[in-house]
Amino acid sequence: MKKNNLKKILAATLTLALGVATLTGCGSASAKEGSAEQTSSDASATQEQSDSKVYRTLDEIKESGEINIGVFSDKNPFGYVDENGEYQGYDVYFANKLGEDLGVKINFVSTEAASRVEYLETGKVDIVLANFTVTEERAEKVDFALPYMNVALGVVSPKDKVIKDLSEIKPDDQVIVISGTTAETYLEKNYPDIKLQKFDTYATAKTSFENGTGVAWANDNTEVIAYAIENPGYEVGIPSLGSQDTIAPAVSKGNSTLLDWINGEIESLGKENFFHADYEATLIDTYGKDYEETLVVEGGKVADTSSEASSDSSEEASSAASSDAAEASTEASSAK
Amino acid sequence: MGFEVLLKGNNMLRLLTGLGVSLKISFVSVAISIVLGVILGILMALKNPVITVISRVYLEIVRIMPQMVLLFIVYFGTTKALGISLEAETAAVIVFSFWGTAEMADLVRGALLSIPAIQYESSISLGLNRLQTYRYVIVPQIIRRMIPLSINLITRMIKTTSLVMMIGIVEVLKVGQQIIEANRKASPTAAFGVFLVIFLLYFIACWPISMLSRYLEKKWEN
Amino acid sequence: MNLDVIISYIPLYIEAFILTVKIGWLGILLALVIGLFAAFVMHFKIPFLSGISLVYIELFRNTPLLVQLFFIYFGLPKVGLTISAETCGFVGLGLLGGSYMAEVFRSGLESVPKSQTESALALGLSRKQLFLSVILPQAISQSVPGILANVIFLLKETSVFSAISLMDLMFTAKDLIGLYYDTTEALFLLVIFYIIMLLPVSVIGSIIEKKARFRTLGV
Repeated sequence: MKKNNLKKILAATLTLALGVATLTGCGSASAKEGSAEQTSSDASATQEQSDSKVYRTLDEIKESGEINIGVFSDKNPFGYVDENGEYQGYDVYFANKLGEDLGVKINFVSTEAASRVEYLETGKVDIVLANFTVTEERAEKVDFALPYMNVALGVVSPKDKVIKDLSEIKPDDQVIVISGTTAETYLEKNYPDIKLQKFDTYATAKTSFENGTGVAWANDNTEVIAYAIENPGYEVGIPSLGSQDTIAPAVSKGNSTLLDWINGEIESLGKENFFHADYEATLIDTYGKDYEETLVVEGGKVADTSSEASSDSSEEASSAASSDAAEASTEASSAK
Repeated sequence: MGFEVLLKGNNMLRLLTGLGVSLKISFVSVAISIVLGVILGILMALKNPVITVISRVYLEIVRIMPQMVLLFIVYFGTTKALGISLEAETAAVIVFSFWGTAEMADLVRGALLSIPAIQYESSISLGLNRLQTYRYVIVPQIIRRMIPLSINLITRMIKTTSLVMMIGIVEVLKVGQQIIEANRKASPTAAFGVFLVIFLLYFIACWPISMLSRYLEKKWEN
Repeated sequence: MNLDVIISYIPLYIEAFILTVKIGWLGILLALVIGLFAAFVMHFKIPFLSGISLVYIELFRNTPLLVQLFFIYFGLPKVGLTISAETCGFVGLGLLGGSYMAEVFRSGLESVPKSQTESALALGLSRKQLFLSVILPQAISQSVPGILANVIFLLKETSVFSAISLMDLMFTAKDLIGLYYDTTEALFLLVIFYIIMLLPVSVIGSIIEKKARFRTLGV
């Protein structure tokens, strides 16, 4: 009886001790967070509730020594994690440069397409560098800096059943899109009859597309072109859809100090052809040289037309593929 | 079959670290739930009408709201409504403790009320004072009833933490997706191997704990 | 909160509600069938099948539905087994629920005292009559509170369907947030629709549970 009791008490104290240990573990962690939050809550206390400031200014970021940058972690080759757990890709290369020039440590935050605006609106990240296409709707919620990449929409489908026009999609067919992307918005608005199969991550959407659950996958054309190059059984039947857009870094609405700094950075990086170097470091394995001038935006200045971009590059470099894309885009815009 | 991708680089280690994130969140939440749940359970056993009404509403919310909905409300909703920005992990701990506290409180209340009044009376008549009655008679019985159920709660917490991927925490499932994505070209069937391994990892984490809970429950049944 | 936004969202939520309820209840039905079968073979220690049932129950009770769905929906097609998202949701929920229901039915079967078997046999009932008209009715009525608790649990679990692209309530809310950024309105409707789906079940559950408790008290 006595021995039994002893055991019970031991068990009880053990559980309690375990509890306390984990609790204190949590306590120290939240204390760390607390210090980061304090600055923002102090600042917000001085302002009205309605426009309480969720973001951190440039000085606050520098002071803290850390910047939170939202990137994709499953969108190869723009933002992904390699087998050593390191973030890699075109967006990440740029993010690393920003961190270096700011002189702060980067804390990468893995985002999904649909939560990018949320992350900025709630101040969970300072910058989103996650292949974020500039659109009017988004610009009402967040502030975009100068662009660093061109983009349009594209549709990829299996080679044996290539879809070259959206009208080929039968009523029962499903088109895969990722929730919260421009492709989803575009198809919802312009082709409400097309059935969409929506996923919240790139990884699940691509795996499902490979598994054959949809007849096509609509997304940024950069992404679908990369996909078709890497996966031999697939072809980009519609290389350009909708309007020609750009991709830019985004910050929380009103965070002008950070925005101005990024803009200045993009302009000065343009002088050293930084984004071409970025392309050559991260995208060339996927796209080859052909897409360099079509994709890259240097110094925040978008070339007025794609013809300018191709005249810029040497004649032999402007490939059939890129002129195809350009043609298709003019067709699309004339159709509108 | 896609298992080979886990042998590349640190991939397997990353997966385990991801599982560690889930385990950490569940253990912290269980610890908080036990402390708060015991307090609330005792309060509920007092049968104060105000506490009864409040706790009934609280338990009903927990009973019918999916944890995923609560996660979204706490993670995205609170920032909008209150202007506080929560870290994803903090939000997860809050939600899981909110849920676990309700479960624990209900168990504690049930255990307290299940002890017949005659035990208090006979203890007193045996000459034990109030403190001794609790110390030697009531609390040991309650602990016996509580421990298996609290251990059981741990496994349910661990399983539920798989949801935190949805609010952007990089845990085992998200790491799995990253591995599949980074090796799409080299290992096209990675999805099979990686998800099967994650399935088994969860099993390995939960099964011994639920066996322990069942063993204790049987042992202390009488 | 913007009332116009809420009104414009309602039809989408109703659509999602119907899908969620449909797949949820189909899954629960499947779970009841699987659970009853597994409990039956285990209670009567039918060789081979009872071993499989035990492994199945332990595997599915100790892993999260989300992981099960990921494996079924994304993993299995890699070895040649492709199923639609709806089927996957229904089967996944059924398999998860089956393992929980099996436990409930099993303890229900165990709760029927041995003496009843003996006396029924002494009265001349056949084995089949004994099971169908003596044991099963009691076992099921003993299991009712457990079944209802599992029904609520399974209906709540439907919220993870969103991960495999099913447009359930959760996904609709997430999708609308991603499309139009009206977080408060989208989350508000989400809560309302889950209350509509689960509160009646929960209330009915409590009532039945109370009655069942009285019965066990021998009233």
